[in-house]
Amino acid sequence: MDESKTADISYGEIANLEDLIDRDSLREVCRSFFDLFGLSIRVFSQRGSLLANVHEERSVCRYVNSLTKGRVACAETVAQAQMLVPEGGTTVTHNCFTGAVYHVVPIIYDERQLGRIVIGPFLPSETNEIPASLLHIDPQVEPARARLALAEMPRVRAQTAGRIATHLRGVLDLILFSGHRARLTSAMHLATVRENYRELSEKNTRLQDAYDKLKELDRLKSNFLATVSHELRTPLTSIIGYSEMLEAGIAGDLSPEQLGFVETIRTKGELLLQLISSLLDLNKLERGQLSISTEYVDPRAVLAEVKDTCLPEAEKKHIKLELSWHQDVPAVQADPVRLRQILINLVSNAVKFTPDSGRVDLSVKTTEMRVAQGDDDDDDAGGFGAALMMAPERAVEFCVKDTGIGIPEAEIAKIFDAFYQVDGSSTREYGGAGLGLSIARSLVEAHHGTIRVASELGQGTSFFVTLPEAQPDQA
Amino acid sequence: MQLDFQAREVTVKLVYYGPALSGKTTNLQAIHRLLTPEGKGRLMTLETRDDRTLFFDLLPLTVNTEMGLTVRIKLFTVPGQVIHNSTRRLVLQGADGVAFIADSQVAEVRANQASFKDLRKNLRENGIDPAAMPLVIQYNKRDLPNVRSEEEIMRMASQGKERIYLATATHGAGVADTFMGLIGTTWENMERQHKLTERFGLNEQAVMSDLRRRFGPPVEATKHG
Ligand SMILES: Nc1nc2c(ncn2[C@@H]2O[C@H](COP(=O)(O)OP(=O)(O)OP(=O)(O)O)[C@@H](O)[C@H]2O)c(=O)[nH]1
Ligand SMILES: Nc1ncnc2c1ncn2[C@@H]1O[C@H](COP(=O)(O)OP(=O)(O)OP(=O)(O)O)[C@@H](O)[C@H]1O
Ligand SMILES: [Mg+2]
Ligand SMILES: [Mg+2]
Repeated sequence: MDESKTADISYGEIANLEDLIDRDSLREVCRSFFDLFGLSIRVFSQRGSLLANVHEERSVCRYVNSLTKGRVACAETVAQAQMLVPEGGTTVTHNCFTGAVYHVVPIIYDERQLGRIVIGPFLPSETNEIPASLLHIDPQVEPARARLALAEMPRVRAQTAGRIATHLRGVLDLILFSGHRARLTSAMHLATVRENYRELSEKNTRLQDAYDKLKELDRLKSNFLATVSHELRTPLTSIIGYSEMLEAGIAGDLSPEQLGFVETIRTKGELLLQLISSLLDLNKLERGQLSISTEYVDPRAVLAEVKDTCLPEAEKKHIKLELSWHQDVPAVQADPVRLRQILINLVSNAVKFTPDSGRVDLSVKTTEMRVAQGDDDDDDAGGFGAALMMAPERAVEFCVKDTGIGIPEAEIAKIFDAFYQVDGSSTREYGGAGLGLSIARSLVEAHHGTIRVASELGQGTSFFVTLPEAQPDQA
Repeated sequence: MQLDFQAREVTVKLVYYGPALSGKTTNLQAIHRLLTPEGKGRLMTLETRDDRTLFFDLLPLTVNTEMGLTVRIKLFTVPGQVIHNSTRRLVLQGADGVAFIADSQVAEVRANQASFKDLRKNLRENGIDPAAMPLVIQYNKRDLPNVRSEEEIMRMASQGKERIYLATATHGAGVADTFMGLIGTTWENMERQHKLTERFGLNEQAVMSDLRRRFGPPVEATKHG
C-alpha cells in the first residue's frame, strides 16, 4: 500500500480502475444513462470485477429463462458478453440468439485500457423478423409469445448506440480524471506530511543532542564550582582565623601599622569568603539543592534585624535607614536565615547605589498575590477554570525603597541574571560580583514568592518581595 | 525511468524546476496548447492557491513507436515557493531530466540562484549526483523590460555545459524547443545507461521526430548554446 502510493506520486500513474473510481458516483452515472436511454449497463474492471450494474430483466429474457434449454443458452451468452475484452480500443458487438446485441466498450484512460462497459441487450432497429435462432433455442418456444416478448426489447439504431457509448465514455473519463486527481492529491498530502515530519524529527534530534551537550557542560560547570569553592573556603577560613588571632594579640602585641595590615588581610579575606559563599549558594540554587527549612516567621522581626545589620554601612554614607509597617501583617512561611539573606542583599544594594545623605526606607504590608499551583501551566490567564485558579491569596509585601541612581529601563530585565551589573566596566565605582539579586530571586522563588522592581533613573529604585501568607495547616 | 517489458512501455519523468512565479506552470500550459491531440493527456493541476502551485502540475504524453513500444512521458512542475521544499523534493523523486525555468528579469538573479542551489541540494538528498542529472536551462519572460541581455546570457552559457533556451512562455515561444532539448539530453543519458536502441530497437530519432511533428510550427526560434 505504502509503496504503491509512493509509486503513484513518482509517476502520477494509476493502473487500476478500482483505485480511480468512486463506485457510488459510477452507479449514479450508469443509473442516469439507464433512465435516459432505457439500456442496461454494466462496468467491469480490466481484471473482470463488476463495478456497476444497472439493468432490468427484459420480457424475452424472462421468457427464455423459463424454458430449460433457453436458460442454459442465456446464461452462456451473458457470460460470454461479460468475458469479452475488446482489443485495440474499439467497441465489439456480441450477439444474442434472441437477435439482441451487447456492445462492449473499452474504458481507456491515459492511453491505457482499464476496463469495459457492457451496454445492452438491445435490438438493433434494423431487425424486423424474429430470428430463427430464438425459435430453435428450445423445443418449447411458442413463436407468438416470443414475438410479443421481443417487442418489449428496447430498439436502438447502430449509430445511436455508438453515440451513447461515446457519451458514456466521455462522462466516465471525467470521473476518472477527478478520481485520479483526488487520489494523487491525497497521496501528496500524506507524503508531504510524512516528509515534513521526518525533517522535523531530524531537526529535533539535532537540537536534543545540542541541548544534552549543553546540559552536560552545565553540570560539569556546577561540579567544578562546587569543588573549587569548597577547596578555596577551607584555607581561607584558616587565613581569617589566624588574622583574627593576630589582631587579638594572641601572638604578641602588634604595632599600629602591623595591626592595620592584619585588619586589611582579615576584611579582604571575609569579602572573599562571602563571594565564595554566594557562588556556592547560587550553584546550589541552580541545581535545586539548597535546602530550605521553613517556619512561621514574623516579617517585622526579620525586617528589624536586617535594619540593624545594615545600619553601620548606611551610617558611613550618612544615609537615613527608616523602618515602617502596618499593624496587621500576617506571618509568612519562610526560612528565616534565607529571608534575611534576601532582604540584606536588597538593602545593601540600596545603600551601595544611593549617594551620600540619601535615604532608604524599609517597609512591609499586607497584599494579595496569585500563587503558582505546582506544575500547572499558570500563565494561560483566563483559561481553563480561571475562576478557581486565578483567585489570589493574602500575601506579605516587603519593600526596599532608595533615593539612589536608579536603573535604566532597558537593564531592568537583566539585573537578576548572575554576574550582571549595569555598569560592567572594570573601572566601575561600586564593588560586588553581580550575584546578590540573582541569589535573592532564586531564594524568593524557592519560597513561592515573587520579586519585582520599579525604578526611575536618577530618582531611586524600589524592590518588592512578595511572599504568600503562612497556611495554618503547613506548620 | 521505468521499463515494463510485459506492457512494452518505457516511462520517462521530466521535471520543470525553478523559483516561484518563473513560469513553470505556464510552460506546461503552452505545451498542452501547442501539441496536437494525439497522445496528449489532460493537464492536471493539483491544488493551487492564487494560481500558485501547491503540489504539482502533471501533463502526460504518449508516443507509440513503430516497434510497438510505447513511450510514456510525464511532465511535472514543482511548486516554486520556498516553503514547499519537502513537496519539491518529493516531486523530484525519480526524475530522469530537469528543465530549470529561470526568470530573465535582472531583479530575479538571486531567486534563480537560490532555487538552483535548492535543486542541487534536493537531488543530493534524494541520493542523486546533480552533475549526473540531465539538465536544460530556460531563461523565460524575454518579453519583459529589465531582463538580462541575450549576449550576457550566452556568455554565461558558454561557461557551462547545459543547453540554454530563451522563452516567452506566455506566448508559447521557446517552449517547444526547451521541451525537445530536455527530452533530447534525457534520452541521450538513458541511452548511455540502458542501451535502449540495442535492447529494444527503440530509436531516439523516431521518438524525437514524432514529438517535433506534434508541435505546431515553431513560434519563434530561440535555441542557443
Ligand atoms: N511577461 C511574462 N509573464 C510570464 C511569462 N511566463 C509566465 N509569466 C507569468 O508569470 C506568472 C507566474 O507564472 P506561473 O507559470 O504560474 O509560475 P510558476 O513557476 O508555476 O510559479 P509557482 O507555481 O508559484 O512555482 C503568471 O502570471 C504568468 O502569466 C512570460 O514569458 N512573460
Ligand atoms: N538599588 C539599586 N539601585 C541601582 N542599581 C541597582 C540597585 N540594585 C541593583 N542594581 C543594579 O543591579 C546590578 C546587580 O545587582 P546585584 O546585587 O546582583 O549585584 P552587585 O550588587 O553588583 O554585586 P553583589 O550583590 O554580588 O555584591 C548592580 O550591579 C546594579 O547595577
Ligand atoms: Mg548586590
Ligand atoms: Mg506553478
